[in-house]
Amino acid sequence: MKPLSVTLPAIGLRVMWTYIATGLAIFLLMLLVGISMRGSQAGWWTIEPGTFYSLLSLHGIGMLTAMVVAGLGTLWYLVSRETGLDARVAYLAYAFFVAGVACVIVSIVPGHYGALWSMLYPLPFTGTYWPTWATGAWLVGTALVMLGFMIWCGQILGALLARYGGLGGVLAVDYVLHNRAFAKLDHEPPPPQIFAAAITAIDGLIAGTAGLTVGVALIVRWLDPTVAIDPLWAKNLTYLFGHTFANLTMYMAVAGIYVGLPICTRRAYHTSVPLVLAWWGTLLFVIIAYFHHLYMDFVQAESLKLVGELASFLAAIPVVVITVYGAVLLVHRSGMRWTLGSMFLFTGLIGWVVGGAAAVLDSTIPFNVDLHNTLWVPAHFHTYLLEGVVLFTLGWVFVNLEQRAGASSGALIRWLAGLGVFGGGALFVLGFYIAGAAGVPRRYAVEPPPGPYLAGIATVGAILVLVGLLVVAYEALRLARLPRSEVAP
Amino acid sequence: MSSGAVFGVFIVIAVIAIVVIVFLGNYRLRDTLPQASVTARGYVIRRYWLGLTLVVAIAAFITTLSYLPYSQPRIQARHYFVVARQFSFGLPKVVPLGTPIVFDVTSADVNHGFGIYTPSGNVFAQVQAMPDYVNHLQVVFTVAGHYSVRCLEYCGIAHAAMQGGFEVR
Ligand code: HEM
Ligand SMILES: [Cu+2]
Repeated sequence: MKPLSVTLPAIGLRVMWTYIATGLAIFLLMLLVGISMRGSQAGWWTIEPGTFYSLLSLHGIGMLTAMVVAGLGTLWYLVSRETGLDARVAYLAYAFFVAGVACVIVSIVPGHYGALWSMLYPLPFTGTYWPTWATGAWLVGTALVMLGFMIWCGQILGALLARYGGLGGVLAVDYVLHNRAFAKLDHEPPPPQIFAAAITAIDGLIAGTAGLTVGVALIVRWLDPTVAIDPLWAKNLTYLFGHTFANLTMYMAVAGIYVGLPICTRRAYHTSVPLVLAWWGTLLFVIIAYFHHLYMDFVQAESLKLVGELASFLAAIPVVVITVYGAVLLVHRSGMRWTLGSMFLFTGLIGWVVGGAAAVLDSTIPFNVDLHNTLWVPAHFHTYLLEGVVLFTLGWVFVNLEQRAGASSGALIRWLAGLGVFGGGALFVLGFYIAGAAGVPRRYAVEPPPGPYLAGIATVGAILVLVGLLVVAYEALRLARLPRSEVAP
Repeated sequence: MSSGAVFGVFIVIAVIAIVVIVFLGNYRLRDTLPQASVTARGYVIRRYWLGLTLVVAIAAFITTLSYLPYSQPRIQARHYFVVARQFSFGLPKVVPLGTPIVFDVTSADVNHGFGIYTPSGNVFAQVQAMPDYVNHLQVVFTVAGHYSVRCLEYCGIAHAAMQGGFEVR
């Protein structure tokens, strides 16, 4: 099927850069919040527990929202190249994000809300150290973020359904099941990045519905304190939303691999049957893996925990067998030049695999007994997010900047950026891993030994990451200011 | 370390992953091959790789079935009631060594985690302490001494200070 019309590239690009710039600005602020917390756990300075947990709430939701917004911007542009999209809807979703973030900031800065981003009922109401209005501002703020996300999902899914002729077309069902006939008719399946957009939209709508359901229940409880909620029900919905929201950031950022790496390698990334099958698996596993957050809730049915374990294991297979493997093949003996863009896209693969391996170990129930809610959890997701999602995002940004300017950065800059972001990052996450394996709990404003000692090493790593990222930011601004190149690099 | 072995496995996987990915990316990068000849070989290897990961995943899943912490609490075992509340634990003072016991764990206010640490500071067992529900954690202590208890679910301002303990003898 041919596109009905496509969006003007200038419009798509403006949406993308608005989203990405906003996401990266929030990211840098939240990074400073992160360093302040880790340094406090190291005893370099003291943040009172109340303030610590307010900052932790802010850092958690802020970082995830930042990466979601950046990822959605990229996908919006990539979808707009295939079909017509109304930019006003993108700005409407954006307005929801901005309003949501504003409410969250109000709830934290004057309000001192501190029940964390994945608040478990009855926590935001019982035994709190902040005023009730701050809980309300938080709940409304996070609901606005979810609504913004769902507006995006609705627009993209609607557009893709129209463009590819229904769900079967978007998910390339005929292409997989009747491959020969499909080829004979000269039909083409959607390009790889469209699967990233579609799976984000579908799983996003499911997760968003779960999140809004528990969110509305909590808002009702906030308005009428006599309302009682089942804590196990709330926990399931909170983690269904939370796990999916965090996990999807990766499946959004992977679009940078599908579109960015082919630019760097001058090779093509085509949709294949294994790729489609991998995305079908991902569509399912991302939604049901969340049961691993309830391994230590013995009242929850055992079968659901086993579903969570199996889904967590199987979720790794599309990643290591198809996506990462395919990306490595794309680079292998391609003659690719190392620029900041290609370097970030490539090293992000490592963060994804290593963080994923740590996640799989943690989702192994006999190991989880010792690792559940220890620092192993932030260890794995910081690997996956900081050294995976963030790098894919930066890689995509740089591939675009380099292409536009027809220039790239010198070796010194690349080494500085690489050492800071990757070397510093390794030190930073190792602090979490070792402490987690030693049983130090997560979310402790003041940690038992060996927590503080390791936190010191981790803080050094985090500061190196910051330095590396400042070099990166400087380069990004330098490249962005260069005149547009006439020849393709 | 409670999970020294897991940490070791992790480091081995991480090092292998880094070495393989960096090697395949950098190896004769300038000595280019057409994409078709790379994928022709790559897709053959991929089939074995898929087979291997599938077998490992399924085998790991089946193996874990024999090591689940969810044993049905025995009726004849001694039961001890544990109530978590912001920010302390109601615990037995002494529990017996070498015999199955069951902790019946609940919470008087918000979600908490009942995390038991061995005398040498490793995680021994844990379960969530949740309001309106009772989680049954069955354990057998094989080493005597003072076990400490820490909260393993964020519960508010003094979460990190929420501790307790009991003797095993
Ligand atoms: C160098 C950069 C970073 C530093 C120094 C940092 C620091 C921290 C610290 C100290 C914690 C609390 C760990 C604990 O004791 O439980 C934390 C939690 C967290 N971080 Fe980061 N972080 C960084 C980057 C990121 C990035 C890039 C993301 C996401 C894209 C992220 C998302 C989160 C989330 C979701 C939590 C969990 C919040 C919670 O427990 O409720 N962080 N971070
Ligand atoms: Cu607690």
